[in-house]
Amino acid sequence: MPELVSVEAVTRRFPLDHNVVNALDHVSFHVAQGEFLAIAGPSGSGKSTLLNLIGCIDKPTSGRILIDGVDTSKLNSSRLTALRREKIGFVFQTFNLIPVFTAAENVEFPLLVQGVAAKERRERVAAALESVGLSARANHRPDLLSGGERQRVAVARAIVHRPALVLADEPTANLDTRNATQLIDLMHDLNRTLGLTFIFSTHDQRLLEHTDRIVWLTDGQVVSDTLTSEVIPANIPLEGASHGQVLAARI
Amino acid sequence: MGKFLLLAFRNVFRNRRRTVMTLMMVGGGVAGLLLVGGFFARMFWGLRESTINDGLGHLQIFTAEHFNREEKHVLDTGIDNWRQVAASISTGGHVRGVAPRIEFNGMLSNGVKSGVFMGSAVDPAAEQTLGFTARLASGRDLDSKPGGEIEALVGAGVARSMNVKPGDGLTILAVTSDGALNGIDVQVVGVVNTGFKEMDDRYLRITLPSAQRLLQSDRVTNLVVGLDNTDNTDLVAAQLAPRLQGLPQQLVLKKWIDLAAYYKQVRSLFSTIFVFLGIIVFFMVLMSSVNTLLMAMFERTREIGTMLAMGTPRSWIMALFVLEATLLGVLGAVAGVVAGNLLGVILNHAGIHLPPPPGTTSPMNFRVMHVPSLMIGSSILVIVSLALASILPAIRASRLQIAEALAHV
Repeated sequence: MPELVSVEAVTRRFPLDHNVVNALDHVSFHVAQGEFLAIAGPSGSGKSTLLNLIGCIDKPTSGRILIDGVDTSKLNSSRLTALRREKIGFVFQTFNLIPVFTAAENVEFPLLVQGVAAKERRERVAAALESVGLSARANHRPDLLSGGERQRVAVARAIVHRPALVLADEPTANLDTRNATQLIDLMHDLNRTLGLTFIFSTHDQRLLEHTDRIVWLTDGQVVSDTLTSEVIPANIPLEGASHGQVLAARI
Repeated sequence: MGKFLLLAFRNVFRNRRRTVMTLMMVGGGVAGLLLVGGFFARMFWGLRESTINDGLGHLQIFTAEHFNREEKHVLDTGIDNWRQVAASISTGGHVRGVAPRIEFNGMLSNGVKSGVFMGSAVDPAAEQTLGFTARLASGRDLDSKPGGEIEALVGAGVARSMNVKPGDGLTILAVTSDGALNGIDVQVVGVVNTGFKEMDDRYLRITLPSAQRLLQSDRVTNLVVGLDNTDNTDLVAAQLAPRLQGLPQQLVLKKWIDLAAYYKQVRSLFSTIFVFLGIIVFFMVLMSSVNTLLMAMFERTREIGTMLAMGTPRSWIMALFVLEATLLGVLGAVAGVVAGNLLGVILNHAGIHLPPPPGTTSPMNFRVMHVPSLMIGSSILVIVSLALASILPAIRASRLQIAEALAHV
């Protein structure tokens, strides 16, 4: 499959008081179109920072990231905005829906920003909501939806403009097991049926069980990049576990 | 655009308590301006109409010389053929009548004490036709066809000073048009209260024939033209000007506003006060709204970060905040216009009386006019104020670092 994302020797440092923290340290890996990839690791390992950099909402201190062959470090602010608008969909841990919009209006927003005509917007919103099983809840505001429904609306919003890449930051962190499982199945279905590329950060073992590939980060460095076929035992808590412990558990 | 407007509108009502407080502040500012401005407008209107109806008229005709040189003798620059001119003017559209006047001054005496007067001579019938009735404190107005006695009206100050009342006699002395001194005995038939103490202390009015006999002249100082409506002044002035051309004497037409110095002074003073009030309201709305809008911006930091992450142009975020503030301004202005007009109606029916203004002796009714231009102006003022207040929050919102905004708690 053609390459969609290329992370090349990316380093991200943050100033903290009088020190500098290395959130990411020479991270490199490549993602092909249609992959379903997890970035895993304990808290503070740099998962969210890496997703922010791939999503063009932060800039690396050094190194470069290519999205669909475009070197994002060479793009100015407005071009980065256009790149995010056209090629990337976001799913956030806290859903981040616009509270004054209905589910349908939230899903419609990326199309609105893209300037899609009203008729086409309506059709695509209806299709996106149907694909996440929320057609009946289209006119409900987020405060009237359950956590699982909100996250499914967020997924519909992330895919409605047909992006090449969907980035999800800890998408199941605020969901109970049932809703988390439904969301994982949904994302996997979308990955398979639409060929959408998913990259998500997680330390949720339920999600890792369904992942094709895991990039494991520890202290801002890639310690493994593994294609998975085995299922991780459910009794191993990943949060706080070392890479070695998880690998051992998998074996 | 429709969805964008919808988003802005719903955001306005996201925090209802804060929105209501802001609307009360903005609406209160507009209502306050409407009440003060409406009161001033009613005052201007009342002063204008009283100035005109107290004898100034809507238009006045003088000889050009009247403004070009000082008179050597009384009526030196007066109008000769005033009857012909008055007849010509009377036929004009919207003209209710023409009243000849003589302005003169001299001395008056009760036999014991004397004083100066500023006199005017009028045709009582013409004055009554135009509705120029004297404000009588006692007695009656001048009779157009008096009997043997020469009738006179005096101001309340003159009556007090000369110790006269209706029915008493006075002698008035004036310099004739030839420069000689002449005198006549008059009978006081009424005492006038003009509302202005300085005027009441010098006021004397007699009939036109009496004054012409006193001054030994057939001329008049000016012709006062009364119209059916003050709003027709400019129209009639334009229509009448050609009729004054080609006459033996060069005549000029003056509008009431050109002659109402006191009215212009009052209007200028109170207009300045109103502008000052408007500036205070503008800054009051501006400063308090900046704080409110900044709070709204901070509360929505993560949401703004989400919108920016989804590729929303930063200019849209800025426009959204300005649009929300403008909507808030429009709603506040509507609330203020409604509240201001309602309060105005209530106050108009309350029958409130204010103390006499400086220089006058009559109490003033508190009345508020409903002025459309004032409603539009006040509304624009607060809308612009709110739009300006939103610029700082809008800039801050549009410049948020997306990653930091998404991590905002």
